[in-house]
Amino acid sequence: MTAKAMVCRCEDVTLDEVEEAIGKGQRDLESVKRYTGLGTGWCQGKQCVVACARILAARTGAQPELPITARPPLHPIPLGALASLAEGDDA
Amino acid sequence: MAPRRIDPRALPATHPLARRLRASPTPVAVTLEHDGMAVPAYEGEPVALALAAAGRLTLARSPKYHRPRGPTCLRGACDGCLVRVDDAPGVMACQTPVRPGMKVRSQNSFPSARFDVLQVTDWFFPKHLDHHHLMVGFGGAINRTMQSFARQMAGIGSLPEQPGEVVPHRERDVDVLVVGAGASGVAAADALHAAGLSVLLVEEDDATGGSARDRCDLARPPPPPVAETLTRASAVATYDTGTLVLHGGAVVLVRARARVFANGCHDPVGTFVRNDLPGIFTARAFSRALVRAVVLGERVAIVGPHPWGAALHDALTALGVAVTRSTGEVVEAEGRSHVTAVTVREGEVTRTIDCDALVSAELPTAAYELAGQAGAALGWEAARGCFVPRADDDGVTAQAGVYVAGTLRAPWGTDGESAADGARVGRRVLRDLGVGR
Repeated sequence: MTAKAMVCRCEDVTLDEVEEAIGKGQRDLESVKRYTGLGTGWCQGKQCVVACARILAARTGAQPELPITARPPLHPIPLGALASLAEGDDA
Repeated sequence: MAPRRIDPRALPATHPLARRLRASPTPVAVTLEHDGMAVPAYEGEPVALALAAAGRLTLARSPKYHRPRGPTCLRGACDGCLVRVDDAPGVMACQTPVRPGMKVRSQNSFPSARFDVLQVTDWFFPKHLDHHHLMVGFGGAINRTMQSFARQMAGIGSLPEQPGEVVPHRERDVDVLVVGAGASGVAAADALHAAGLSVLLVEEDDATGGSARDRCDLARPPPPPVAETLTRASAVATYDTGTLVLHGGAVVLVRARARVFANGCHDPVGTFVRNDLPGIFTARAFSRALVRAVVLGERVAIVGPHPWGAALHDALTALGVAVTRSTGEVVEAEGRSHVTAVTVREGEVTRTIDCDALVSAELPTAAYELAGQAGAALGWEAARGCFVPRADDDGVTAQAGVYVAGTLRAPWGTDGESAADGARVGRRVLRDLGVGR
């Protein structure tokens, strides 16, 4: 395995990639997310959001304000389990 | 590289872990299939743990670089154990109980996660592959072709062969929904139940007790709650109209007058070189395996400030496992397909420890996601370096009817403090719902 340090495992976003994004002017979590895809994978940011916030705080000297929005569902769930909630609402 | 089952007789009889293991019910031996091989397992234990105990730690491959991945957190918050179970893709092996004869297969790899020829991607792009911007500037047709190729190469499994069935949802109306059956959630739920309210307590794990259940220095897990409890029940989304709880494959839409979030913390792994190698675990994952009678390595390095480090060191020493503990920080892990050593910085000194398991003993961070979805304001807790839901001393958030308790709002709290906090939040909910006036 090459010497990568993973910030976001689900999307294979490395520390090097986050630092490059910061270097190109992405100075907050939302911008780094949009630039690298960090936090948009399987786990929806359960580990990488805080890891990235700490990196941003160290590099920019500013306190993080808000995490990226944690979208439902928190865990992937089968579509079949959600389907019946839409009954009578299929317009 | 030798995780194994623990024989409690190998421990001093008075050791809390020995007492814990001796009190466990005798498990039923069964067989499951992993990538075509028969693997011995115990019925009901987590699939990821059964596979680990059989020396099968590389269960998955990462999406872009096809780096080997293994279970890391063992509680549903990492990507290390995603497998195909029977016909269902993208299943978390750590959250799935063993059933006899189940077929577990690698996904997103060729021919298997243990040996994946697509790992060459990792070597082609030694720093990173910026696929978001790499393809910008080509014509539309080339871009489409490359996107389609990238989609074939990456991803998290393929669709089931048969379309899934619609599973009817259920609905529940209660006074209070409590999410998380650790120390604070149980205390809050039981206080509310004792006052005569209808309370539903939901717990993602297969039993109540929260982090105390995973501690290897407690001879007994905490007693169960009195309030109605669903285990293996994941609160997966919160909306104004209610909370969606996945239980037994079906969604339960829970409408409640008040919601108490007591769903604790995530366990991060540090950001260091090769932090994604199989054989790297969180402190809680390693301890969680121990109390389920599996030790995840024979030469273990525990690095970081997590308060369970000392108890882990003690239990491993009693088991005859070679263990090195450091409260420094990890610089780099080494290994090709499994961790073989770790370099640690302790002040001015740097040293390398040979190991076959690394416990990245970082401090827990608050699992703020659900409370945030429900409308609680979030903020940065500089002392711990994580986001937390903002609340007053009674757990009252900016959103009416939404409360937070326990280590979710105070990630440094002990079990005793969490229980006291849960009871206090419970009393506040009672007052706000007009009970006992």
